[in-house]
Amino acid sequence: MYILLLVGYPFFLALYFSLSSVTVAGGDNGYVGLSNFLQLGEDPQFWTAFLNSWVFTFVGEIGKAVLGISLAFLLLALLREARSRFGRGSVWVIRGLIMIPWTMPISLAIWGWKWMYDPQFSVINRVLGDWLHVMQHPYPDWLGDPLFTRIAIVAVIIWKGFPFTAVIVLAGLTSIPQDIFDAAKVDGAGWLRTWHYVITPMIAPILFIGLIFDVTYTLADVTIVYLLSNGGPYGTTEILPTIAYHTGIQGGNLSHGAADALVLFPFLLIAMVFFLRLLYRRQEA
Amino acid sequence: MSAQAVARRPIADTGRRPINWRRTRRLTGLMVALLFFLFLAFFPIFFMIHGAFVADYDLIDPSVSPFWFSRPLTLTHLTYLFDHTNFVVWAKNSAVVSGAVVAITLVVCLPGGYALARLRFAGAQNIGIAIFMTYLVPPILLFLPLVQIVGNVFNLLNTKWALVLVYPTFTIPFCLWLMMGFFRRIPIEIEEAALVDGCNRWQAVWHVVLPVSVPGILTAAIFAFTLSMQDFIYALVMVSPSAEKVLTIGIPTELIRGDVFYWGELFTAALIPAVVVATLYNFFLDYFVEGITGGAIK
Repeated sequence: MYILLLVGYPFFLALYFSLSSVTVAGGDNGYVGLSNFLQLGEDPQFWTAFLNSWVFTFVGEIGKAVLGISLAFLLLALLREARSRFGRGSVWVIRGLIMIPWTMPISLAIWGWKWMYDPQFSVINRVLGDWLHVMQHPYPDWLGDPLFTRIAIVAVIIWKGFPFTAVIVLAGLTSIPQDIFDAAKVDGAGWLRTWHYVITPMIAPILFIGLIFDVTYTLADVTIVYLLSNGGPYGTTEILPTIAYHTGIQGGNLSHGAADALVLFPFLLIAMVFFLRLLYRRQEA
Repeated sequence: MSAQAVARRPIADTGRRPINWRRTRRLTGLMVALLFFLFLAFFPIFFMIHGAFVADYDLIDPSVSPFWFSRPLTLTHLTYLFDHTNFVVWAKNSAVVSGAVVAITLVVCLPGGYALARLRFAGAQNIGIAIFMTYLVPPILLFLPLVQIVGNVFNLLNTKWALVLVYPTFTIPFCLWLMMGFFRRIPIEIEEAALVDGCNRWQAVWHVVLPVSVPGILTAAIFAFTLSMQDFIYALVMVSPSAEKVLTIGIPTELIRGDVFYWGELFTAALIPAVVVATLYNFFLDYFVEGITGGAIK
């Protein structure tokens, strides 16, 4: 009883604190009603944003997977090499440098990109066009053309996220004992087969949690698009979070803005359910 | 061939080991790959560092390489930032906000995490998971209602204290989850030993549990700090007077005037806090990964 009282009160306080955010969203949902959502369905701008949200996240996720997984294997090999040769410190420094895209706040690191995409002085255009002559005039206007702006945004999304993917995959890889790799090698499994039949099943839970985390993060992130293109040109690169901001804050239409954002909620809920099931299954095992 | 090699070895073996070509090739491959990734991660940052130190005209002069400079390097961007903008004010605000958020987070998460880790009733585990789930509810779903609450109920809109109020909504769930993991790894026996030796519950926690969980507390504090430094949307919608802005929002709103980008100042202003946060973050990266994967690794 004594213990319960001592630990119970702060515990419920913590519970209240962390849950209050959720009920706030739920409460607002009550005001909104379904008519706002129905109106959204007729708004072409909404569908552009909806589609963009998913395309950016999906393409971004593929890019992150390709780069992140190769980086994870590289780091694993380096870790094994370097530990015997230079000590762990060197690996730590290297990892720190590679992790920069993830560890730097994106709202600050994005200015480097913004400069590279500058319409007049774009470094990308100067290097690829003026120096290497890979591109012809007229050079792409990275943040002024709907297609190129989309490419530019996805590039930043991938750049920001691939180190995170790598660290998650690496965390999985290092949890696999070396014997299992050796056994696969002895059995004649190639690189792809080892990945598919040995590694993936073993680290699936970690990969999945990482994926859920990253998808929710990418879907809901407003910073990259807001600072790069602010949804422009002409609203072609809006995503759900940015239209939520534009209609909710700048347009002052709170209920529509909230509806824009809450469209994401069912998908996040699905992600959470998967996450939960995964956790429970692990506990039972 | 192998017979030749064996026969030759005593002659060739003059203390130097023969070069292992396979290993060398492998190492070279690794290094090339590493350089590729280093380049990939670093090049946007390079332009920020470059732009922070070169003169303005070097940036836009087509005869100057975008990677180099022709006019002398300068610190004017830095001095301009300190003398003619509110950079110092924003930095102070950021520090105050993050500091307060760290304090609030720790005050809630230390006892909360301890309770969740030690409590032996059926729901404890579920409640822990439920709290972590709230971390997956992104700010973008919450910012509109939160603006209303902060404005109407607390009347704090357009002050930095609004941010102090809302940042714990994402720092607490994550840090609570982290602390829960930490406390769970501390064997309960040392507490019981303290109780047997005549401590009461408070003393046992204060003298025994807290000292051994210092790394955990430090980690939670660092993450509360870096997470609150990474926020953008709340700062954007809640604070507009320049004197109350934090760094993440002051930089894009005041160093770009209309269509004019103050590139040098932008880069300098962004780099200073970004490097601090990235360094701190990197120190505790392993704990972050562990927090996310929910200890699934071990």
